[in-house]
Amino acid sequence: MWARMWENRALYVAISPFYILFAVFGLFPIGFSLYLAFHKWDGIGVMTYNGLNNFKYLLTDAEFWQAVGNTFMIWIYSTIPMLFFALIIAFLLHAPFVKFRTLFRVGYFLPNVTSIVAVAIIFGALFANNYGFLNYLLQSVGLPVVEWLNAPWGIKVAISSMVVWRWTGYNAVIYLAGLQSIPQTLYEAAKIDGASAIQSFFRITIPMLRPVILFTVITSTIGGMQLFTEPQVLVGNDGGAGAAGMTIVLYLYRESFINNYFGYGAAVGWGMFLIIALFSIVNWKLVQGKSS
Amino acid sequence: MVCVLLISGCSIWPGQDDSANNKKVTLTLWYWNRSIDDKLIARAKEKFPNIELTAQKIGGDFKAKLKTTLAARSGEPDIVALNDWIMELFPSEDRFYNLYDLGAGDIEDQYLPWKWKQGVTPSGQMIGFPMDTGPTALFYREDLFKEAGLPSDPEDVTRQINSWDAYAAAGEQIKEKFGGKVFLTDNIGSVYNQVLSQGAERYFRPDGSFIGMDSALVRTSWDTSIAFKEKGLLANADGWTPGWNAAMNNGEIASFVGAVWMKQVLQEAAPDTSGKWRVARAPGGDGNNGGSFLSILKSSEHPQEAFELVRWLQSPENQLEQYQTLNLFPSAPGVFDDPAMKKEEPFFGGQATGPVFAESAQQVPDAFFGERYPSVHNIITRRLNDVAKQNADPQQVWTDTVHRVERELQR
Repeated sequence: MWARMWENRALYVAISPFYILFAVFGLFPIGFSLYLAFHKWDGIGVMTYNGLNNFKYLLTDAEFWQAVGNTFMIWIYSTIPMLFFALIIAFLLHAPFVKFRTLFRVGYFLPNVTSIVAVAIIFGALFANNYGFLNYLLQSVGLPVVEWLNAPWGIKVAISSMVVWRWTGYNAVIYLAGLQSIPQTLYEAAKIDGASAIQSFFRITIPMLRPVILFTVITSTIGGMQLFTEPQVLVGNDGGAGAAGMTIVLYLYRESFINNYFGYGAAVGWGMFLIIALFSIVNWKLVQGKSS
Repeated sequence: MVCVLLISGCSIWPGQDDSANNKKVTLTLWYWNRSIDDKLIARAKEKFPNIELTAQKIGGDFKAKLKTTLAARSGEPDIVALNDWIMELFPSEDRFYNLYDLGAGDIEDQYLPWKWKQGVTPSGQMIGFPMDTGPTALFYREDLFKEAGLPSDPEDVTRQINSWDAYAAAGEQIKEKFGGKVFLTDNIGSVYNQVLSQGAERYFRPDGSFIGMDSALVRTSWDTSIAFKEKGLLANADGWTPGWNAAMNNGEIASFVGAVWMKQVLQEAAPDTSGKWRVARAPGGDGNNGGSFLSILKSSEHPQEAFELVRWLQSPENQLEQYQTLNLFPSAPGVFDDPAMKKEEPFFGGQATGPVFAESAQQVPDAFFGERYPSVHNIITRRLNDVAKQNADPQQVWTDTVHRVERELQR
C-alpha cells in the first residue's frame, strides 16, 4: 500500500492542503478539548489533572441541564414552524402560476446571509419590554403589554423567531430543489386517476421529499443544538431573566471565556457532542422509520 | 560580548544619559478607548525621547484578548491597562513585574490607600498601578424629588437620605406622588452592588478562604435589595440597554447610586433631562465601582523604563488633566482641591459634582475581592434578577443561591 501511495505521491500532495488544514484546525482542537476536559485550567496558569471531576460536576449541574432543556425548547419552538413554512413556501414557489420566481427565491434566501448580530439587535428592539415595537402594537390595539424578555417563554419565543426568520428561506430553497426532482409524470398520472391537489401533495410530494426532509431535520437539529449568537446578543452571557435563554453553547462560552473554567467548558462541549449525536440518531430513526 | 553588556547595561540603568549612546528602547502599551488621553500619550513621546512608544488602542473584548495573549505567551505588550477585574489575574502574578521592585513604594503616599491595595496581590506583590477610580454617590432628579416633597438641595439630600432605609422611604413617597409612574431606582442588581460596595469585606478573606453567605454584609445587601423589590421601587431597567437610556431620558427613574463615571453615561443616555440632575452623597456610605490599573508584563525587556513611563502617565498632575479631558476620576487625592475639580456642570444644574465624589473617594472602605469574586458575585446578582423580574420566592432563591455558591467553590 505504501509503495502505491509513494507512486502516486504527486496526487497525494495535491490533496494534502485539506488534510493539513483539517489536522491543524479540526483534529487538533478536538483532541485538545478531550485532553482539556480531564484538566483544570484557568487559561493562563498551569493545567492540573482533574480526572473525571469535570464530568461528575457536569452531570449534577442544574444550570447545564437547564441549558439543555432550554435548547430543546427553542429547537422545538423554531424547527416545527420553520420547516412547515419552508415547505409551504417551496410548494408555492414551485407552482406554475407564480411569476418572478427567481426574485422570490433570492428574497427568501436573503435573511440567511444577514449578519446574526444585526438580526439579534433588531429583534431585541422588536421584543423589548419597554418601548419595544411589538408592545407598541399591542398597546395601540388596546391589549396589555407582554414582558417578552422577562418571561421564560417570551425569551424563547424571541430567540426562536430569529431562527425561523433566518432559516425558513434556506430550507425552502432546499425543499424547492427536492420538489423539482419529483418527476412531473407522477402528478399527471395521479391527475388522470382523479386525485385532488391535496391528495397528490400527501401521497406523492411528501413521500418523495422524505430524504430532503430528513436532511433538513438533521441540519436544523445540529444548528439548533449549537445556537449561540442569537441568545448571546439578545439576552447576554447569562441567558437573560431566569437564564431562560441560556443554550448549551452559550453556557459553554460563559463557563470557559467568562468564568475561565476552560477544562469544564471542554467537558460541556463533549456533553453537547453526545446529546447532538443521540438526538440526531433519534430523529433519523423517526423520520426514516415511517418509510420502511 | 562588549556589545551585549552595553545593550543590557542601558536597560538596567535608566539614569544614564541616553542621548550618549543613542539607543532607544521600544515599549508597547495596550489600552482601551478613553482610558488614557491620546494627547497625553503624544506628550509622553516628547517627554521620554529615549522611548519608542507604540500605544495600541485595543477594541472589542479587551479582557479576552489580553488573556488569550497571556495564554499564548507571545506578542505580549510591555505595559497593559487593566480594569477592576485585575483580581482575576492575581493567580498569575508571576506574569507581571512587582512594581514595588521598580520603585513604586516611593510614591505610595500620593495615592488613595484603598485603591493602591486593589493592585497588590495577597502575597504582597504590586501588579497594578492606580489609574482612575469610581467613587459612588447618589444621582437624583432635583425636580422629581421636589415635586414629591422630598429634600432637593444636595446638602439636604445628603443629610436626610443618609441610609438605605431613608432612601427606600423616599422611594415610597415618590411612588405615591407619581402614582407608580416614576420609580426610585433602576434595578435590583444595582441596589445589591451598591450596598455591598459600601462594606469592608466581600466574599473572601485575603488568605483566600470563603467568609460564607451568612456574612453580615452579604445578608444586608441581599435583604435591602429584596426590600426594594417588594416595595415596588425598581424600574427593572438593566444598565447598558436602550430601555435604561429611554427610562432615564423619559423621567421614569428618579435616582440611582452610581460611580462617578456614570456622569458620562447619564449625559449620553438622557440628554433631554439636562439641568435636572444633582449629585448627593450615597445613602448608607461611600463605595467604589470600577476604576483601572496599569501593569508591566514580565515579558517586557525594559521594565524600569516602562515603570518611569507609567509613573509619569499617572502622576497626580496628569490624572488631573485627564479628569478634565476624559472625566477620569483621579486616584491621587492631592489634586482634589484643584479648581479644575470644582467646575460647575450645566447638566447637573450648575452644581459642582467634583467635591461630592472627592469626599466619597476618601471614605471608600478597604476591601479585598479575591480572584473568585466575579463568579460568586455573578451567581448572586443573577438569582436576584429572578426575584425582581419573575417574582420568584426570595427565601427559596436564597437557599438555592447558597447552594450554588457552595458548589461553585468546590470546583
